[in-house]
Amino acid sequence: MNSRGFVLLAAVLFLAVLLRILIGPVSGDEGTRLVFAVPSAEIFGLRVMSVASAAVVGATLGLSGLALQTLLRNPLASPFVLGISSGAGFGVACVLVLGYLFAWGRVPWATETLGAVFGASLALLIVSRFGRGGDGHNPITLVLAGVILGSIFSAGSVLLEHLVPHGLRGDLLSWMSGRLPEIPNATHLATVAGLAVIAGTSLARSARALDVSMLSDDEARSSGVNLAQLRGKLFWTGGILAGVAVAYAGPIGFVGLVGPHLARRVLGPHHALLVPGAALAGATLLVAADAVRQVIDLGSGRLPVGVLTALAGGPAFLWLLRRGAIR
Amino acid sequence: MSVSRNQASARSEARPLLEGTRLAMRYEFVGARDGSDTEAPYVHSTPALVETSLGVSAGEIVAIVGANGCGKSTLLRALAQVAVGPGVAGEVRIDGLAVAREQAARVRAFVPQTPDVTADFTAREVVRLGRFARGRDDAAVDRALAAVGLSARAHRKVDTLSGGERQRVAVARALAQVDGAERPVLLLDEPFRGIDPGEVARIVAALGAIATSGAVILSLHDPGLARVVATRAMIMRAGRVLFDGPTREVLTAATLTEAYQHPMVECADWLAPEIAGKGTMAACSTV
Repeated sequence: MNSRGFVLLAAVLFLAVLLRILIGPVSGDEGTRLVFAVPSAEIFGLRVMSVASAAVVGATLGLSGLALQTLLRNPLASPFVLGISSGAGFGVACVLVLGYLFAWGRVPWATETLGAVFGASLALLIVSRFGRGGDGHNPITLVLAGVILGSIFSAGSVLLEHLVPHGLRGDLLSWMSGRLPEIPNATHLATVAGLAVIAGTSLARSARALDVSMLSDDEARSSGVNLAQLRGKLFWTGGILAGVAVAYAGPIGFVGLVGPHLARRVLGPHHALLVPGAALAGATLLVAADAVRQVIDLGSGRLPVGVLTALAGGPAFLWLLRRGAIR
Repeated sequence: MSVSRNQASARSEARPLLEGTRLAMRYEFVGARDGSDTEAPYVHSTPALVETSLGVSAGEIVAIVGANGCGKSTLLRALAQVAVGPGVAGEVRIDGLAVAREQAARVRAFVPQTPDVTADFTAREVVRLGRFARGRDDAAVDRALAAVGLSARAHRKVDTLSGGERQRVAVARALAQVDGAERPVLLLDEPFRGIDPGEVARIVAALGAIATSGAVILSLHDPGLARVVATRAMIMRAGRVLFDGPTREVLTAATLTEAYQHPMVECADWLAPEIAGKGTMAACSTV
């Protein structure tokens, strides 16, 4: 087992956690300033919850990205790039707008999550269908289909936003850019974490079959892997995890793409290591992004974490393209 | 054993190790209708394999020969049970039992025409994947790598190997898969593509070892090589088995001329295509 790789990822996560807990704004006579210090017990508790929130969402996105990359045999697959996050966002927007129009009152989070999972699965079905060419999925067509689909779903979400009053519209807009909740809801967080653990365990139990599925379909089938069953598992894992992550924090880009790649670089190609590794790398990336956004003060509140992941992950995506990750 | 047209129906050996019954496959694709002036899309349904039944016994090395698109790969994929879809039909039995593909993987391995691996595995790691059905066995992996002459390059990443070496990795994966099986079955689609003659000889020896207790079925483009490697040959055309029997009796200039729809010439121990106005290829120029 590549223990050094795990130690490296865990060390970076530990540093990011430390940074996130120790850095924070303090209001005084001279206005608000950033302080690097041990916080009070109350603040400490809130920050620990924020760290947990970022870690869980990051791990969920990392696992979702790994499931999609393995499913489509495409290193560029991820919930964001394939338009699945946008589909999930559209699903949530639909539920919220329906709730407003039919005066249902506050829509329960579980209903939002169902909307997100439905939207994510719909997007995955569509992009998978359009990205298929010849004897499998064509990476270029798949990514192009994902980009177009993401644009369509995003436009649909904006359209829906205009059906609701300003207050709710502002909330939706902020959520659509990918925002970790300032004060996380413990029940919601536990739900996301529970689903991630179940999905991660399920993937880890299929680690050897996932390795064999990296061969051609004919070789994998003749080696004894039930590809249809395995791909069904990957499809639902990728879709459901992307859906719950979006329902919780909005569409946060590129963590699902870069997390699995980071894990592959430090741990190698075996899924027995990649499954926990992608979760760890995803958690590390999002906690680090959340820590970095604490020190960026533009005078109008903290940036949504999705803006930072896009700013860092976009170039990473281009680097992968340049490096020839598409085969 | 005598040469038979159409099918190997007259075999009298004990129960075959591998049996395919009424194997058939159709490919569907959308295109313009033949002979039609309009460009309206039309769904073509082409038979790639027409109800083919065959049996292969332990001890046999069977070469499937024929022109491009005659159904060699399709027949091998049908026997390996890897073809899926509505156009696939027929039954495959191993040792008289119709077992699911996942169970059959313990005794039957398949190398497709274009092996592929999308992860950053080493040659050894790919060969180890072949042990998915039978369980981890590092000695089997070592034996398979040695059989294809790749022991020294076992720790190289597959994408740094040459095309021929990657092909050998795929063959080694299949050898490792059936290592330990009492009566193994090996199905290989163009296994020597891009491999140099020395390594071909090494792999042929490994296939011979498999055939001492099991069966090997492979498709080959070179009928001369098929004569050397195989004990039995099948010639296919348009999705059907045209000829089936002992290699020397089946692979003749006359049968191959019919299969390739091109004059073939026998020279010494080889078979070569006749080149219009120039006799044959250099080795047969005196024939």
